[in-house]
Amino acid sequence: MNDACQRYLENPEANPEHARECASCRAVFDALGLEIQAKPIAIDELPLAPWEGAKHRPWGLVAAAAISVVVLTVVFFAVAGASPLSVLSSEMSRLEMMREIFRLSSAAVRTAPLTWQVTIGVLFVVVNTILVLLLRRAPRGIDA
Amino acid sequence: MRSRRVLVLLTAIAATIVTALLAAPSAAPHHTGGGNVVVFGRNAVIDHPVNGDVQVYRGTATVRDRVDGDLLVFGEGVTFEGNGRVLGDVILAGGAVKNGDGRIGGRLYTPSTIEGAMAMMTRTAVIISLLLAWMIVAVVVTLMNGREVRFSSVEVRTSPLHCFALGLVAVTSFVLTAIVFSYLVPYLIGIPLLFALAVFAVLTKIYGTVALFHAVGTLVAGARTREQLARRRWFRGDLAMVVIGVLVLGALRLIPLVGPMIWAFASVFGIGVALATKFGRREPWFLAWAPVEARAR
Repeated sequence: MNDACQRYLENPEANPEHARECASCRAVFDALGLEIQAKPIAIDELPLAPWEGAKHRPWGLVAAAAISVVVLTVVFFAVAGASPLSVLSSEMSRLEMMREIFRLSSAAVRTAPLTWQVTIGVLFVVVNTILVLLLRRAPRGIDA
Repeated sequence: MRSRRVLVLLTAIAATIVTALLAAPSAAPHHTGGGNVVVFGRNAVIDHPVNGDVQVYRGTATVRDRVDGDLLVFGEGVTFEGNGRVLGDVILAGGAVKNGDGRIGGRLYTPSTIEGAMAMMTRTAVIISLLLAWMIVAVVVTLMNGREVRFSSVEVRTSPLHCFALGLVAVTSFVLTAIVFSYLVPYLIGIPLLFALAVFAVLTKIYGTVALFHAVGTLVAGARTREQLARRRWFRGDLAMVVIGVLVLGALRLIPLVGPMIWAFASVFGIGVALATKFGRREPWFLAWAPVEARAR
């Protein structure tokens, strides 16, 4: 094995012409079952991978977006003539209504007619079976 | 790694508090004794005093006598006649109140009063302030779990139909499982189970929505080539994609009628992708059993 063989084995794509000249190197690659790429891979021609540039953190954009949203919120509250606290209290009344519905309906379920209870039981089994079947599928997207 | 655990813990605590606010008993006295009346699939006529709550599902309620507790109607409204009155709250999900002046001791909740109470401008301000909250959550989640969010974003763009179907089934499953768990409430185990389910559902919704922000941001402003990527100073990276996604979906949310529908669809997609990718961890939910001989082959 000479220097040319050494260079070829270290980087076959950079020295493709050596494979045509050297029978011993071809034999090594044949024995290993490796395909000799005559043409080096052009990285720039490959599609852009999702992870490329992903770690970049443009804090300027984040700050600009956050400030814009805060300014818009203040402007809209000012135009509407409402204070955030009054809106919060009205939102709390909606939360209270949801809590009431939850409390009442959870008690109602136990007193529902038998047909309703059987339907709920059957639906529970069927829907969760479908859920398990769907969850068994492996993700398709590749972040590479 | 430690900060990620702290974040997950804090999110779980926040989700628990929200769930507790929803599930905790109200401060007002409630009559939950044996006098409750529940009617399914037909009209209800209350012509005798009821020492508890009245609930009507798929029907109308006619109140001719006193109801000590609350009245909940999922149907076509309520009519008061004679001496009929409700000492507690009246909650309507459909229909209207007829002849109800001075007959309701508590508060009246109807979809129209709640929607109408909040003016258009105020509603817009609320939506935008919620958008700010979403932006903060999205930035924090992306900083802590950028790779996972990116993987989920790739998945929702690769298999949108699967994610949507999974999201729909998961939401239905959450509701049905909550109903089944509510059967266990009298046996104590029901409350912790409901809490666990609610916390899981809230976490799934939050993570999935952030992943969807990333997907939308990438679709709208993602770089297509390396030259584009190299030229960009701001519009590159996971953080930028998430922020752009928040702004785009937030702007769509402001459109009357269509906005809430788009947001609801986004939630279904989000829940679907969160579950499809196991929160971006690329791990199977269920381990497949295989005999040793089969694996050796």
